Amino acid sequence: MSQKVVEIAGRRLSLSNLEKDLYPSHGFTKAHVLEYYRRIAPCILPHLKDRALTLKRYPEGVEKDFFFEKRCPPHHPVWVETAEISRDDGERMTICLVNNLETLIWVENLASLELHVPLARAGSPETPDSMVFDLDPGEQADILDCARVALILRDLLSRLGLECYVKTSGQKGLHVYVPLNWTGTTFADTKTFSKAMAIVMQKNYPDLVTEKMAKEHRKGKVFINWSQNDSSKTMVCVYSLRARERPMVSFPLEWKELERLAGEGDPARLQVTHGEAVSRVEHMGDLFGEVLVKKQRLPHL
Amino acid sequence: MAVQGIWSGTISFSLVAIPVQLVKAVSPGRVSFRLLHDKDYSPLARRMFCPKQEKMVPPEEIVRGYEIAPDRYLPITDEELESVSPERSRTIEIVGFIDMNEVDPVYYDHPYYLVPLKGGEKPYRLLVEIMHRTNRAGLAKFVLAEREYLVAVKSTDGALALTTLHYHDEILSDEDISPKEGKVEALAVGRMKKSIKTMMADFNPGKYADERREKVMAILKRKAREKGTVEAPAGENVEGEGPPDLIAALEDIMREVEKNR
Repeated sequence: MSQKVVEIAGRRLSLSNLEKDLYPSHGFTKAHVLEYYRRIAPCILPHLKDRALTLKRYPEGVEKDFFFEKRCPPHHPVWVETAEISRDDGERMTICLVNNLETLIWVENLASLELHVPLARAGSPETPDSMVFDLDPGEQADILDCARVALILRDLLSRLGLECYVKTSGQKGLHVYVPLNWTGTTFADTKTFSKAMAIVMQKNYPDLVTEKMAKEHRKGKVFINWSQNDSSKTMVCVYSLRARERPMVSFPLEWKELERLAGEGDPARLQVTHGEAVSRVEHMGDLFGEVLVKKQRLPHL
Repeated sequence: MAVQGIWSGTISFSLVAIPVQLVKAVSPGRVSFRLLHDKDYSPLARRMFCPKQEKMVPPEEIVRGYEIAPDRYLPITDEELESVSPERSRTIEIVGFIDMNEVDPVYYDHPYYLVPLKGGEKPYRLLVEIMHRTNRAGLAKFVLAEREYLVAVKSTDGALALTTLHYHDEILSDEDISPKEGKVEALAVGRMKKSIKTMMADFNPGKYADERREKVMAILKRKAREKGTVEAPAGENVEGEGPPDLIAALEDIMREVEKNR
């Protein structure tokens, strides 16, 4: 087992197995993974900050088994920030907060390729700071169908006076985020609201949309998963890698770009690779920045 | 002005289910005014006042009581009331078709229209047509804003109209009203019949208007022209009364989005 000790922000960190092929069909090693997260850090860190991280670890790479880890691994360095949260069963649990570069690198050294976080911060776990529409294509539907749904959602939300932002899931779907950042919001509000929108969408686009989770309803349609608006759920963080065959990223798109790509009709163009992600943020910065600061209130509740 | 949806769901009987939206059939004719503070024209809010303690009572200290006798109440909680509220429903289930002539107008409560939603246009037209031809109206139970209503659905000029009906218990008896004394004389009957005949008219609602309302509106128009308006100081946005049903509001917006697509 190879070891390499690095120093980040004055903190020593021992990195292991850097040559391990985590994405074997693309020769993308752990060293590549660490390098990706180091370069994307300025953009991803604000979105991870103060959120209870769920690690999705792939110690033997994306083709082998993975496991979720919610609890902060017990042997974490002393400088890793943690928080106590209550689980659904009432038990207390210590979780990691990825609040700086060294913690991000430490987490990636654990081969946590995917970073999943809740819609609320650890200090206020019942206050979602955004509402999300998780658009998931069923069999025989694809990301272009998701794009159609996302564009309709955007129009609908805009009529309600709400701005929203879209990112790829890094797999087959899209995620539409409505920033709220208002302390009075509850998950009951965001759930009621997103469910109502999903029902209305399904009613008006019965051939394109379903709000039912059951697989048999999803064939050829886009499932609007409103139930993600829950304190016990997590979403893959923007800029996180995904553990697919190729190292794809959950990446924000401009609405104009989504319109154009939807018109071109090539689903592959809606996928952003790790390399593209790094060069894009260098030019455009964090397109998802507003999600963290924009204050909006849900109407009609 | 676009009509605002109050509720949306389906109207159904046997195997038919038609997606519809409920909209108001009448707008209040009364000119309504806001109460303002005459010092700076701020809109005024109502607060609860306890005359005994001579102070304002915050919402969390307010409970409901059912008055049994003067100064004797049965307190009841929101939870207790909620436990007996009907579940929100998305259907108007027709349970029978009745002859509207049998319904005394005293039962009519509030009129609405039903607007067909996407995919419902064809069965909607069919139902309108059949009801028109058979001269029958659908009788249904329907939950709106935590209350279950008895409603009649009938066809009017190619559309479906829904009227909420009063429950039998709400209708006050007219038993004591008709005078029991005195006899109706044949001669008087003939005379009155004749004078009614000379006054026969068609009901022509367009001929009549609320004159006071028109006069109030004329005053307002003149004032707007001559004196202009006054503005309240900017302040906390007072929560407007949103439509009572989120889904109905979304349906409205969806239709607008569709129009512009």
